[in-house]
Amino acid sequence: MKHGSREYALWSIAIAAVLVFALIPVLWLISISLKPPSEITDQRFLPQSVSLDNYKSLFEGGFDESPFIHPLINSIVIALITTVIAITLASLTAYAIARLEFPGKRLILAGALAIAMFPPISTVGPLFDMWRALGLYDTYPGLIIPYLTFSLPLAIYVLVAFFREIPWDLEQAAAVDGATPFQAFRKVILPLAAPGVFTAAILVFIFAWNDFVFAISLTSSDASRTVPASLAFFTGESTFTAPTGSIAAAAVVVTIPIIVFVLIFQRRIVAGLTAGAVKG
Amino acid sequence: MEASAPAHPNPPAAAAAGQRSRSERRLAWLLCAPAVIAMLAVTAYPIGYAVVLSLQKLDLRFPDQSEFIGLSNYGTVLSSELWWTDVFNTVFIMLISVAIELVLGMAIALVMHRAIFGRGVIRTSVLIPYGIITVVAAFAWQFAFAPDSGFVNNLPLISDEMDWFGGRFSSFAVIIRAEVWKTTPFMALLLLAGLVTIDGQLYEAAKVDGASAWQRFTRITLPLMKPAILVALLFRTLDAFRVFDTIFIMTRGAQDTESVSILGYNQLISRLNLGLGSAVSVLIFVCVFLIAFVFVKGFGARVQEGRPGG
Amino acid sequence: MTSRPAIKALACLGASVLVVAGLAACGGSSESGPRQLTFFVAIQPGGTIEETAARCTEESHGRYEVKPELLPNDASQAREQLVRRLGAKDSSIDVIGLDVILTSEFANAGWIEKWSGAEKREATEKVFPSVIETASFEGDLYAAPFNTNTQLLWYRKDLVPNPPATWDETIAAAEKLGRADGGTIQVQAERYEGFSVWANALIESAGTEILSGPEKVDLQQQPTEEALAVMGRLANSSAAPANLSTSNEDTARLGFEAGESAFMTNYTFAYASASEEAPDIAKNMGAAPFPRVNSHPAKPPLGGFNLAVSAYSKNKDLAFEAAACLAGEKSQLTAVELDGLPPSRSDLYSGKDVKKAYPGFAGLVKKSIEAAGPRPTSPAYQDVTSALQRTLHPPDKIDPDDTEPIYDELKSNLEAAVKREGLL
Repeated sequence: MKHGSREYALWSIAIAAVLVFALIPVLWLISISLKPPSEITDQRFLPQSVSLDNYKSLFEGGFDESPFIHPLINSIVIALITTVIAITLASLTAYAIARLEFPGKRLILAGALAIAMFPPISTVGPLFDMWRALGLYDTYPGLIIPYLTFSLPLAIYVLVAFFREIPWDLEQAAAVDGATPFQAFRKVILPLAAPGVFTAAILVFIFAWNDFVFAISLTSSDASRTVPASLAFFTGESTFTAPTGSIAAAAVVVTIPIIVFVLIFQRRIVAGLTAGAVKG
Repeated sequence: MEASAPAHPNPPAAAAAGQRSRSERRLAWLLCAPAVIAMLAVTAYPIGYAVVLSLQKLDLRFPDQSEFIGLSNYGTVLSSELWWTDVFNTVFIMLISVAIELVLGMAIALVMHRAIFGRGVIRTSVLIPYGIITVVAAFAWQFAFAPDSGFVNNLPLISDEMDWFGGRFSSFAVIIRAEVWKTTPFMALLLLAGLVTIDGQLYEAAKVDGASAWQRFTRITLPLMKPAILVALLFRTLDAFRVFDTIFIMTRGAQDTESVSILGYNQLISRLNLGLGSAVSVLIFVCVFLIAFVFVKGFGARVQEGRPGG
Repeated sequence: MTSRPAIKALACLGASVLVVAGLAACGGSSESGPRQLTFFVAIQPGGTIEETAARCTEESHGRYEVKPELLPNDASQAREQLVRRLGAKDSSIDVIGLDVILTSEFANAGWIEKWSGAEKREATEKVFPSVIETASFEGDLYAAPFNTNTQLLWYRKDLVPNPPATWDETIAAAEKLGRADGGTIQVQAERYEGFSVWANALIESAGTEILSGPEKVDLQQQPTEEALAVMGRLANSSAAPANLSTSNEDTARLGFEAGESAFMTNYTFAYASASEEAPDIAKNMGAAPFPRVNSHPAKPPLGGFNLAVSAYSKNKDLAFEAAACLAGEKSQLTAVELDGLPPSRSDLYSGKDVKKAYPGFAGLVKKSIEAAGPRPTSPAYQDVTSALQRTLHPPDKIDPDDTEPIYDELKSNLEAAVKREGLL
């Protein structure tokens, strides 16, 4: 399919507009992180002089002493585990709701929605008490479990919405064509489910990655503290000086895994379309 | 589900059908059980506890003065001018940001879907705002708009001395700007996933029939995307009503920009008035429930429909 | 059905992942040997906490080990963490670094232990009376004073040869300089605790108090209105920086270091910060006493930290000992040397460590602390400070020529606040 140069020009403008909208604040963050402390408030968008001090201070002291490395690892592991488990459980549930008849279907959906609607701040207190009693305070499961709870509703709803659209009869058609049941599932259904599954996965990952409320209240040491919570412990030169530069640097570094994760997954969202399984 | 269609055209009706639906129900509950357990185990106690607390006068700093007072906390909250101001603020921010996000999100989703080059770059870049830690993003915006440290006041049409956070509606503007930037990707992502499931042949057929681009958009795209739009709108609205981080970082609720979540936080954490704070939380829940109710009934969000094709 | 085995496999995978995650998080052996005492405190950038903890551990000769646990740097977040744990009767807290405004609240709730006898005498020896007041509740001592803090009027000697003595004089001097030439005054007026600090300092300097008892509002009309008029006058004059309504200690020092303002009221760290970040400004930086409101002597703000023992600690005797060491003379000297924190013992101000940290203004800091006015002591302090902030912020809404309406509003809001009524 050939595209005229006018089309290219129009699309370039559209793409540039989207990129500007999305990335200007990110560039601002990067700019703040590169400015030396004396120029933080110079009111300029780009730094006058570039300094990597903020980044160096993040990694100073290696694994034990640095305020950042251990929380970064905690964040990655906790978010990944949460995503895998949440997608697994949500897929099972969404499959049941989308394909099977059973009483309690609406109750589950309504209940999931109700859970997603309750203000997290008031669940933190009792959850803190529960976790201390159960010994889950300041542990990985101590964070993974609440993250599961509060991301499952969204994951379930997204997956139900997409599973509903899958033409399940294709499975039978493939069987008629001679495919084994498992082959039918793998080659026909799975690619069609992919957009929903990977969309939900990205949303769950970012939710677990970004959370602050639970992270600050249910952890007390680097054993399980994640990056958003660890930002509360960054110090500037004195207790009254805001560590603006190092917080910005931390935010930039912490976004890199997100970029990687999204880069990998965004292709899968449209993979289903190109698999050629849709409508024949 | 049986892999093959029944051999007889008229299967022995009741018994076989009953058998199938019983095993179907068992399977369904088995599949749902893990998720349900995960959700209930964590929230049943806290939510129940919050409701119980809201019926008491309980101040953590004065533990021996607690007593059961029924609905009196709710009376205090609902008759307080502060509560209604905050509800207005919250609804104001919610309506405007969600509206902007829907339009922008749709536009961006279309670009992500149909761009003739650079799709990977666009899709990844668009999601970056959503992935940046919320408190840091809010802080970066605040820093940008602050008169003494930001670059915004240096832009051509804006006065050097403009104190964005010194007035109510200018503060709202910055808050909404930050919220929109942060969560439009959420909308765009869900709308994109909805877009990719639309069969391209429908567009071809419509073009042959002479439909214009706008007609194709409104007659084909929008209706087929209804489930995706509704899920996106529903969750985004619910989240928007509970906005906290952005406002807290930018103004701490000053200049009458306080949201209901900040109000709840102040009662619960600053004043340790667990009774009032829990009442505010329950009321927030009720408000959000009402919004969801309006969505499900009014817009016909039929997400809980049964089998497709039936 | 076709995909049932696959689904069951996935479910098993999910469950086992959860189990593995749980196992992975377990571990950490219990320690044998000296008792471990946890010390919950916000970390100081210069390393004070690590050093005092190590030294006190050594001086215990093996009986206990002081283990610092981090609290967030933001005061209200630190309070949130402490309240959550103490409210849950957490026994893993031994010694707490307590902000001065928290003493009454925590003591009334029964979360911290009273100090008595020899330990009390040792903890309060030679300590400023105003600082002892911040560590006491209803006449009893509930924490050992560690460091204090106060605000001075910092000014540019090259722009203003003679520092003003009252707020009105400061405003007039700034207006005369003109906005473009440093004619602004940096204060803290964001809607947070720092704003209450300023408001309280103005009110006390005018000659009255916010509270005369834990539940009694004082706030005499005439002096309060004078204080409010000063606030309104500054906020509405050309001497107010553009970001007044979101200014805090950090933005204040940044504005001063950028040369935008000739005047600033801020804590003692301001000089050390300027010396490092803006040496040209620091060269011309002078320190003067906190300005007066009227003819009453000024009452500068009083901050700082005291060390308390948790009521739920399992090692109370050792904790008292450790707290006494951590707050004692040697620790205070470490604090002033590494982090520039003013000691709470008045006899240390003639020593060389303090003079080195505050070159040329050590005596001023001492006088300031002696004259300081602590914030109101009440278990309901959070309500009081919320009411104060909510009523007076943003300060430019105060009409300096008609302060009666705002006075009435403030008085009634505070009266509801001490009774902890209503929604704030």
